[in-house]
Amino acid sequence: MRKIRLLAAIGFLLPLGLWATEPKKASEMPEYGKWQTFTTEDGLPANKIYCVRVDGDRVWVGTSHGLALYENGSFTNFTTEDGLAHNGVLSVDVSEQTGDIWIGTLGGLNRYSGGVFETFNQFNSGLPNDVIYTVVCDGQDVWCATGGGAGHYDTYSEEWAIYTERNAPMHEPWTYSICAGDNKIWIAAWGGGIIEWQKDSRTFRDYTDPDGEMEIDLFPDDGLVHDITTAVSYSNGILWVATYFGMSRYDGTHWKGYFDHDSGLASNFINFIRANGDVAFLCTDKGLSSFNGEEWITYKKNGSGGKRVYYKDGESNTKNDATGLAHEFTIGVDFQGDDIWVATSYGLSRGTKIN
Amino acid sequence: MIRAKGIFISAAVVLALGAFILFGGRWARGHVNYITAAEDHPLTCWTCHVYTQKDNFIASIMNETYVSPYKLDISDDGSTLYVVGQESNELLVVDAEGGKVLEKIPVGLRPHTVKLSPDGLSAFVSNQWADNIYHIDLATGNVVDTLVGGSGPSDLLFSPDGQELWCVNSYSNDISIFDLETFQERRRLKAGNNPVSAAMTPDGREVYVSSRRSVEVPHMTHPLTEMTVTATKYQRVSERLMFQDAYIMETVDVTPSGDLVLATLIRPKNLIPTVQIERGWMMTQGLGIVDRESGRTMQLLLDEPNAFYSDPFGLVITQDGKKAFVSHAGVDKITAIDMEELRKLVREAPDEALEDYANHLGLSSRFVIGRIPTGSNPKGMVLSPDGKLLYVAERLNDRIAVISTENLETVGTIGLEGPRRLTVNREGRQILNNASGTFQNQYACYTCHPDSHEDGLVYNMAGVGMGRNLANVQTLRDIGDIPPYKWNGKNQTIYKQDGMRFSTILTRNEAFTHKQLDRLVAHIMTDIENPPNLRFNPNGELTEKQQRGKEIFYRTQDNFGNEIPEANRCYTCHPPPYFTNLQMTDVGTLADSDDPMKFDVPQLNNVYESGPYLHDGKAQTLEEIWTKFNDHDEHGVANDMRKDQLNDLVEYLKSIGDAKNYMEEAAVYEASLTKKKKDHEKN
Repeated sequence: MRKIRLLAAIGFLLPLGLWATEPKKASEMPEYGKWQTFTTEDGLPANKIYCVRVDGDRVWVGTSHGLALYENGSFTNFTTEDGLAHNGVLSVDVSEQTGDIWIGTLGGLNRYSGGVFETFNQFNSGLPNDVIYTVVCDGQDVWCATGGGAGHYDTYSEEWAIYTERNAPMHEPWTYSICAGDNKIWIAAWGGGIIEWQKDSRTFRDYTDPDGEMEIDLFPDDGLVHDITTAVSYSNGILWVATYFGMSRYDGTHWKGYFDHDSGLASNFINFIRANGDVAFLCTDKGLSSFNGEEWITYKKNGSGGKRVYYKDGESNTKNDATGLAHEFTIGVDFQGDDIWVATSYGLSRGTKIN
Repeated sequence: MIRAKGIFISAAVVLALGAFILFGGRWARGHVNYITAAEDHPLTCWTCHVYTQKDNFIASIMNETYVSPYKLDISDDGSTLYVVGQESNELLVVDAEGGKVLEKIPVGLRPHTVKLSPDGLSAFVSNQWADNIYHIDLATGNVVDTLVGGSGPSDLLFSPDGQELWCVNSYSNDISIFDLETFQERRRLKAGNNPVSAAMTPDGREVYVSSRRSVEVPHMTHPLTEMTVTATKYQRVSERLMFQDAYIMETVDVTPSGDLVLATLIRPKNLIPTVQIERGWMMTQGLGIVDRESGRTMQLLLDEPNAFYSDPFGLVITQDGKKAFVSHAGVDKITAIDMEELRKLVREAPDEALEDYANHLGLSSRFVIGRIPTGSNPKGMVLSPDGKLLYVAERLNDRIAVISTENLETVGTIGLEGPRRLTVNREGRQILNNASGTFQNQYACYTCHPDSHEDGLVYNMAGVGMGRNLANVQTLRDIGDIPPYKWNGKNQTIYKQDGMRFSTILTRNEAFTHKQLDRLVAHIMTDIENPPNLRFNPNGELTEKQQRGKEIFYRTQDNFGNEIPEANRCYTCHPPPYFTNLQMTDVGTLADSDDPMKFDVPQLNNVYESGPYLHDGKAQTLEEIWTKFNDHDEHGVANDMRKDQLNDLVEYLKSIGDAKNYMEEAAVYEASLTKKKKDHEKN
């Protein structure tokens, strides 16, 4: 009788186990086309676009010469004369809790709220450093990746904390990017890989390149592909890490590395990464790549138009488009319904989902 | 033997009496002059030996606990008033018709506002010094829930559906939105600096929050005070309206039609020498107005050319929108306003004339229709549901005035069963809050020292070398034991500080009588507390960061292992319990506009709420003291520090609270000093 029960249990659990171990099916790849380019002729303060962030119906654009707000079909520009800490705007984020806009610049941090800029810098506040590569809002907290360490600002207590190589497992204080999710914070630290902050236990751990090689990645799937990390994004349980030497994907158990020579990645030189659901978008010096874990689509220029390069299982093919990105050197990306916005080194691009 | 002893004692008594008659008067004069630092104070013993006693038996006999009604609300049927007793820490339930106190419900420390729930069954009381809000069941008088949000909860309002409670947090400078099903804070939005009042538009779409202190502005520029506009649907700040040259926006209200938003305000002329008092320009008081139809903001004065109405506090608009009332806490008056006339003026005002209008003392005659006298220090007000009666909290009279809104006359008063005796301290508090000592009633001590603290402004005082030596206003809280006074330390006592020189420089009027001065000094020396530092040090236990900062504060070596000279250590000049050594010091902050001088070392208790910093307010934040104004390590050795160390030090400084919490630490410090001195003498 016990044997029968045991067999029945195995018979019941086995399919569950098989189901549980079955790889998750990749999400459908969104395809974008009908590209439109915005430049200074359309009202942007500069053509060098550093970042783009969607805020409902509005879009915030950070440029080398100020911040622009795209709303109802036109741009409104803000500069230091309006209260911006510096005209070089590297990062923008929107607080879900308050709707305030946080702006990381080359000369300090701004909170834009109710039409007023408030400035935090290393002289008037606890901000670690005035060069802010990334700013991220996480509930009541604001995190900054700066040239002088990662800064954490609690908007309730107005208290700053600074994380550097002195109190976190970093190689040096230069941090490039930060993202939040799943009760954790991940910091892309120059030369230090990825630093993970557990909010509950208030402890750090790091993820580095196990082979420690700077020139090559000996074992691509043993961990991060490189310790010099440039961007990090977390979505749906996947941590995506950009470096100037390829991309890493971590599902909480396994790392996998991707390079331009063995995948659909446009270039190993990755400036920025943002995951939208299951799909990561990688801003490289040679175009915008997207990847869902199985297949790739890369957007590149093609004369005055553009092209989409598809890659899956070692095979690639290309489709030409009448329109394309403003420039292949892409620096930022964000999503607005069926639209995608891309910051490039010469203009802002907007594409629309076509599949 | 016995006889000889008797003769000896008698002779000694006679000699002592003779000596006292011959030399006692001179000794007494010298003693009083020394104690008061003034030469004209009467030879009265009790003014110092009784009036200024603190925390002892004499003080307990001398003082009383008053009610000090502050804000109030009224039941829908108009029968019951609910009054916050700011000093007695009570919610008083008052029979409005019978004029009797029905019940006294204990609430938290220093309650600020009471608001009845939309169903009228419960009351919410914000406890400003306890950082919480009590939800009180009015049937039982029991506290049934305690809501915790930001720091210094003050004004309250309900969302149109009654599902949420909005609370203005006066110390943490934000607005908490509570879910009234769970009583949990749902959201917190940043407001202006020291926000205190909120009003919702009749359509429920927007909430206006007024604040008291200026936002950070560049040094030596005019104050700019924020009114925060919040869209209720999205619970987002939609606009931050700035009122130029104005501050202390104590109360905001919206007309029933929703076309105008009004807020009380004060317009200080702090950057020009205070001789302007006699020209009627030092402080003017009025209204900040938002015309919601045109989107335009403007300011109008409630003063008149030769009469000022200081410290406007409460503001209510009648339900029919025809009249508004403003309480003036500094002159014990209520101003009645004809809203139609005010509206006409607002609509007629050309854009280019708005600045003139903001300073125009003659315009009030167009819309002010009455000035109604009240008892001491009128604060919060509420209208009866039919709009016929105005109830006014006479804070320093422990009384509610009842005023007819039709006849503009006081028709009655309701006593709140406070102590009958008027103590010396209470009289002193009345003097501090009243503007009658100043030329044309332009301002009271309270005006620059709201809540007996400081107003965050820098003043150009009309002393010797007028136009020079700008002064950052200092707090009046718990300063009795830390002379000298003024940044230049010229006043050894408060008697001197507030005596004749006060009238010469500041009030431009007759000096306080000695009786008034004694009462004012007694109040300032013994009766003004620091609020508990709940924001940065709620339980006396330092956080890791604050503890690290404390180690830096007490360090004797810099980051490179070099010994820091004793004079350049933080604790040398800022020892506990007051964190001042009561000495004059040069910390390298003298400006071109200053005469050569040293500065009185300021105390650091509750320093977090005293920005801007340094004698002339040039450091906007604590960080700036060292990042901008300490190039040569004259204000403590700090240039070796990393940014995270400076952050730790600042967090420790922000944690410093009232002196009474540091007596033990001070004893340890004193003992270490004594030991060091002995060791030094031995060697």
